[in-house]
Amino acid sequence: MSYDAPIKELGETSLLPEGTSAHDITETIAGVTENAAPRGWWLLFLLSLSALGAMTAALAYLFVQGVGVWGNNAPIYWAWDITNFVWWIGIGHAGTLISAILFLFRQKWRTSINRFAEAMTVFAVLCAGLFPAIHTGRPWFDYYLFPLPNQMDMWPNFKSPLMWDVFAVSTYLTISVIFWYVGLIPDFATLRDRSKNLTRKRIYGFFALGWRGAHRHWQHYERAYLIFAGISTPLVLSVHSVVSFDFATSVVPGWHTTIFPPYFVAGAVFSGFALVMTLMLICRSIFKLQNIVTIRHLDLMNKFMLGTALLVGYAYAMEFFIAWYSSNPYEQWVFFHNRLGWGQLDSSGNWGPLWWAYYAMVFCNVIVPQVFWFKRARTSVPIMLIASVLINIGMWFERFVIIVTSTYQDFLPSSWGMFHPTAIDILTYVGTFGLFFTLFLLFVRWIPMIAIAEVKGNLPGAHPDMHAIEAHDEAPDALGAPVPAE
Amino acid sequence: MTRRKSYELSPGKGPSMWRNLEDKARSGDELTKLAQEEQPGGFVTDLLSPKALVSRRSFVQGSSIAALAAGLQGCVRRPKNEILPYSKAPEYLVPGIPSHFATVTSRGRDALGVVVTSHDGRPTKVEGNEQHTRSLGGTDVRAQAYVWDLYDPDRSQSPARRSGNALVDASDADFDAALKDLAAKHAKDKGAGLRILAPISNSPSFRRLRDKVIEKFPNARFHTYSPVNDDNAREGARMAFQGSPYTPVYDYAKSAVTLSLGSDFLGSEPGSVAAGKRFGVTRMLGSSEAPMSRLYVLESNFTVTGSMADHRLRVPQADIEWFARALLLVLAARGAAELKPIVDLLQRVEGALQADAVDLPWLDAVADDLIANRGRSLVVPGAGQSARVHALASVMNGALGNFGRTAFFGPVIDPDDSSSGASIVELAKAADEMSSLIILGGNPVYDAPADIGLGDLLSRDGLTSIHLATHRNETSERCSWHAPLAHELEAWGDQQALDGSVTVQQPLIAPLYGGRSEIELLATVAGEENSSGHDLVRETQAALIDSDTKALLAYGIPATDLSSDVVWRRALHAGILLNPTPSKPPVNFTRIVEELISFRSRNPVSKDNIEVVFEPDPALWDGTHANNLWALELPSPMTKLVWDNAALMSPTTARELGVKNGQMLRLSKGDAKVEIPAWIVPGHADYSVTLTLGWGRTAAGRYGNGKGFDVNPLRSSDAMDFTDGVTVEPLRETYNLVQTQTHNRMEGRPIAIDATLDEYKKEPSFASYRSVDPVSTPPLWQQVDYSEGHKWGMTIDLSGCTGCNACVVACQSENNIPVVGKFEVERGREMHWLRIDRYFVGEDENNPDVAVQPVTCQQCEEAPCENVCPVNATVHSPEGLNDMVYNRCVGTRYCANNCPYKVRRFNYLDWHGHLDDKFGWYEDFPESRKLQFNPNVTVRMRGVMEKCTYCVQRIEKGKLAAKLDGRTLRDGEIRSACQQACPTGAITFGDLNDPKSKVSKLAAVDRQYKLLAEIGARPRTSFLARIRNPNPKLKGNG
Repeated sequence: MSYDAPIKELGETSLLPEGTSAHDITETIAGVTENAAPRGWWLLFLLSLSALGAMTAALAYLFVQGVGVWGNNAPIYWAWDITNFVWWIGIGHAGTLISAILFLFRQKWRTSINRFAEAMTVFAVLCAGLFPAIHTGRPWFDYYLFPLPNQMDMWPNFKSPLMWDVFAVSTYLTISVIFWYVGLIPDFATLRDRSKNLTRKRIYGFFALGWRGAHRHWQHYERAYLIFAGISTPLVLSVHSVVSFDFATSVVPGWHTTIFPPYFVAGAVFSGFALVMTLMLICRSIFKLQNIVTIRHLDLMNKFMLGTALLVGYAYAMEFFIAWYSSNPYEQWVFFHNRLGWGQLDSSGNWGPLWWAYYAMVFCNVIVPQVFWFKRARTSVPIMLIASVLINIGMWFERFVIIVTSTYQDFLPSSWGMFHPTAIDILTYVGTFGLFFTLFLLFVRWIPMIAIAEVKGNLPGAHPDMHAIEAHDEAPDALGAPVPAE
Repeated sequence: MTRRKSYELSPGKGPSMWRNLEDKARSGDELTKLAQEEQPGGFVTDLLSPKALVSRRSFVQGSSIAALAAGLQGCVRRPKNEILPYSKAPEYLVPGIPSHFATVTSRGRDALGVVVTSHDGRPTKVEGNEQHTRSLGGTDVRAQAYVWDLYDPDRSQSPARRSGNALVDASDADFDAALKDLAAKHAKDKGAGLRILAPISNSPSFRRLRDKVIEKFPNARFHTYSPVNDDNAREGARMAFQGSPYTPVYDYAKSAVTLSLGSDFLGSEPGSVAAGKRFGVTRMLGSSEAPMSRLYVLESNFTVTGSMADHRLRVPQADIEWFARALLLVLAARGAAELKPIVDLLQRVEGALQADAVDLPWLDAVADDLIANRGRSLVVPGAGQSARVHALASVMNGALGNFGRTAFFGPVIDPDDSSSGASIVELAKAADEMSSLIILGGNPVYDAPADIGLGDLLSRDGLTSIHLATHRNETSERCSWHAPLAHELEAWGDQQALDGSVTVQQPLIAPLYGGRSEIELLATVAGEENSSGHDLVRETQAALIDSDTKALLAYGIPATDLSSDVVWRRALHAGILLNPTPSKPPVNFTRIVEELISFRSRNPVSKDNIEVVFEPDPALWDGTHANNLWALELPSPMTKLVWDNAALMSPTTARELGVKNGQMLRLSKGDAKVEIPAWIVPGHADYSVTLTLGWGRTAAGRYGNGKGFDVNPLRSSDAMDFTDGVTVEPLRETYNLVQTQTHNRMEGRPIAIDATLDEYKKEPSFASYRSVDPVSTPPLWQQVDYSEGHKWGMTIDLSGCTGCNACVVACQSENNIPVVGKFEVERGREMHWLRIDRYFVGEDENNPDVAVQPVTCQQCEEAPCENVCPVNATVHSPEGLNDMVYNRCVGTRYCANNCPYKVRRFNYLDWHGHLDDKFGWYEDFPESRKLQFNPNVTVRMRGVMEKCTYCVQRIEKGKLAAKLDGRTLRDGEIRSACQQACPTGAITFGDLNDPKSKVSKLAAVDRQYKLLAEIGARPRTSFLARIRNPNPKLKGNG
């Protein structure tokens, strides 16, 4: 029997409701791009465009005046800028994970969300990439960061983790875009074939690269997809590991932590899933996709979030253990005073003024996901919506806690400082949501947001061994050895 | 990262460039010859040989010469406007090479000799003059900052006359005419009704011309007023020395035990620079066997002198006198027989000694120590203490046998000059008969005691008042005429220091705005035909120079060549004309006893009887530097407050009054009141509040107006230094005070390490034990070998650092460091490359010790900042400097994050165009301020990281000079700006590879340690741990 068939005895149901036909799927998904946009879409699009406009204004002001318009200072040289960068990059992780790793592990349920998650990845990485570019003092010299041959024979410093970031993030963006596009080719062809006017036909036709659905096409396509999944898989681990090196290779107490690479990757997957969940829940209800993205899908995603929450929670605890075990007074100060807030450590009894950020983070990232131990919570749309939003807030705080609560009180107490964001900080951050959602809403409107071809592969009728399974269901011992899927 | 490939250049390669066919026909050899003629050094030949290894520098040099020789001029873009080259170059002036001139800056009646650096005619940097007895090579904050005042864009730029309620610009001719009218008017009445008010002057020429004026106008009167003055010291000397104001000059280098009676002799008092140098000698131990002096300080506010004390007793200002009287008694009882007569008289009078005011164990210990060190001790009275304390201190120094050993006396200077306090009162009383008033500098409307009401007096009808001042300040606004006063760097003058030495004040630049000096104006009033400052000064000095001085100045010159011109030039060059003339004053007890007996009332301070003490601000002084950006943004040594002053009080006082930091207070006494925010200073005396002068100006200029709070309204003519019976009323409002350092404790970390002398003797290497160097950690990559060539390093001796801030301003002026404004400091964006960290040490928040530590780039050999820079903008030089490449920096700020010392500074905005206007648009940077910039240091733009370079421009200059002379560098030839400014000599810079250099010897002293050595960055800067020398008889520090 096929291992991905639902085990009815356990109460499992199939991924798609009984009786869903391939035509239904095409109609539902392709229909979104063909029918007039619902009023909700317009509303959200206008909102996003305004936020994007605000960001543009904030950036113009930033470029004219300098990074001093943000709240960054000494000793908090990085604040919201890099917090937002790491947060967006983390969000970008779910896409590749769902597309590549879950694909390699043959997790069929991924098909309903992978397109969506991949698009999110691309847009999130774009938002993320914006921050390192604009956070520099002289952004017009950003090209110094690239290893461009030049008359001075000057190369970037390959020892610098920021340099590694440049490579990691740009590679990740390139691969994510290609992977996403490759997956889109059959669906573009579907849209082309359904087009009712010439312009639309030409545009989709261009992107469909002459796809005809021939067996040879499918063969190449499946092979390419597998290869890209293979290439992407290490990237899922490497990108956030490299981002974590920005901190882990430094000497700053609270940054200089060997657990950072796995901790960052787990956190990234966690936050990525949370944002996919939030957006999926909204799109599902606006575009009526409940039959394609079923409660079963959501249930599985919630389990994944619970798992990563536990990993992240473990990492949090381990940091404290190491701080205590290392007897390093600077590290202990950062963890016990700056994060937990303990006033006893300070000779004047003052609590670390940013303690609330740490508690907010633990509440959102560790305590909230514990509701997913309960099936009722895992299958309740309002609960998972609230939880996923909270998790994203918590993950933003995680990065804020790492960056700001480590630097604001480090080695020499004489240089300690405090961070206060400015209006421009807030506007820039909110503005990146504008960029993200503007792109995302355009994607939802013009590109099939769910992989039509792949979802169809999950229909019971699409399974090559369908009849065998049915026979097996009727006569359990008739077939003997299990048949490998596909 | 990359190893540069050598360039290849041979005549046959490259594009051929020619002007005409003859040129083109020339062969490579001819080219070589031409190039050789152009650069006779010969390296061009090497350059042109195909196999030579060529450095980038010589390549550029050589190729440009070759290109020119080959006729490339046609391609060079020339500026179209005409240039005006020197038709005759000024003698000795090499463009681009700075010159140095010795001159002097006044400190009230004292003078500080300085050497000023001039770049192409622009004075840019001030250093101490090693040959000047009051500098000994060091400087103070004010000396470092006063070059800024020269370029102050708000200086008065033309004379002005009153028209209605405003000042209207007038021409110099108008002003001269007015001055002539005035002289003509008073020629008839011999000067009746003419008064001249001048700040305390130390100038022999001023005194000479003053006499000339009096000669011409016998009925005219001179008045003296300076808000920060030496009234008490002079009056005290008169009491002790039969009416003659001898000026004590102390030699701290010879004193084993020093007792300060409220004296901030390392900070705000005259002679602090020389005092620092001499005091430092006895503190910065070369080994644990070396002898060390001990310092006892009684004071109310926490001063830099108090921070250096081995024992500091915080007492209200008024109680210091009672301590001094009690000490007299104890010293007499324990062997100072000379004091017996006074003590016998005092003991008979009730209330002449008050035991409750005195900490007896402390008194006991101090007295024992002083007696045990007779002839090697000092009792130093504070400028703010009464004349009686000054007299007592002199008496005690005499009885302890210190005269001629540690306590010396300068000549009696200007004995008839009245005291500031009395003189200004007299002026006010004479208001009715006054028809003309000339005010020579100063700002008495702002800083004269409030009860005099000088402002109203000046506005009286029928009074012609003339004010000569650098700015159109509060006083100018009330006067009928104003004329710009020349800066000290613009005018000729002469100044005599307290020890008697005389220095010519020579100008480095013609007056920027046509200002004139006090003596020039006096000469005009006196009707002198020649009022040129230079001639006036030479005339004065001709009379002063005696044969001894001549011989000294003419050392090495044949007597035949000894014209007055030679002597004069030598004096200008050396920066000192007359050497100190010590005198031996006769002591007389009669007047002291009378004065002591006549003052017997003690009114102890309490919550209901708060004492208020007035002190000059450490940076703004009496308000003279109120528009000086460097002074405004200089952290006050103890409070670390910038851009404001505050009412300083102890934690106990604050608690009992229910006051929090920044809470507004209304201080009132009688009708006088002042509103000012409170600031709590651990270690301040209880029920005493310190107010600093110089703030709250209304006509200081664009930067200083409205900054801080004017405390002068509370200052009355009978209590210029301190007063009691002040009511403190906490108000509801709070005021935002801004500090550069907000955390005051070390939190148990080994940062500014200290130990007592006993602990040091027991374990000489205690400092390096407390800060562990992780030698066991293997390096990640191969370590660089620095054993060849130079290896720059620095040592900072914490035993010698007083935290006076002179180095901070020196660094700022040397390295073109911008000022950011209060709002930006609050956000932690101040730019000082060198900061002084101040920590409070000890459990008792009311009576802590203080540890100060100058922190600047430590030039780590394994610099954490360098690894993380993605663009190689911060790299290591072969000599071990952590170089910052400004034009490569994109501003990721990663380096600053990874710097454990947080010494990197980032240009978040264009600080030169952005001063405290929050998010406004850029302003124009005043042209005059551009003149101050050091041309050898890049002015950084926004978005660029910067930090201490060990003054790399000075290193390069020194190396170049040595190379041109064909010799090796001498130790001490290259000095960093901070080192040069340091009055105590706590900072040493040099080559660690030279075993004979001072720095390498100091870096090997047992009490050295590296800050945060455990990180493994291998810093080049070593600190020498501070040693305290407490008296075993006294527990704790109180």
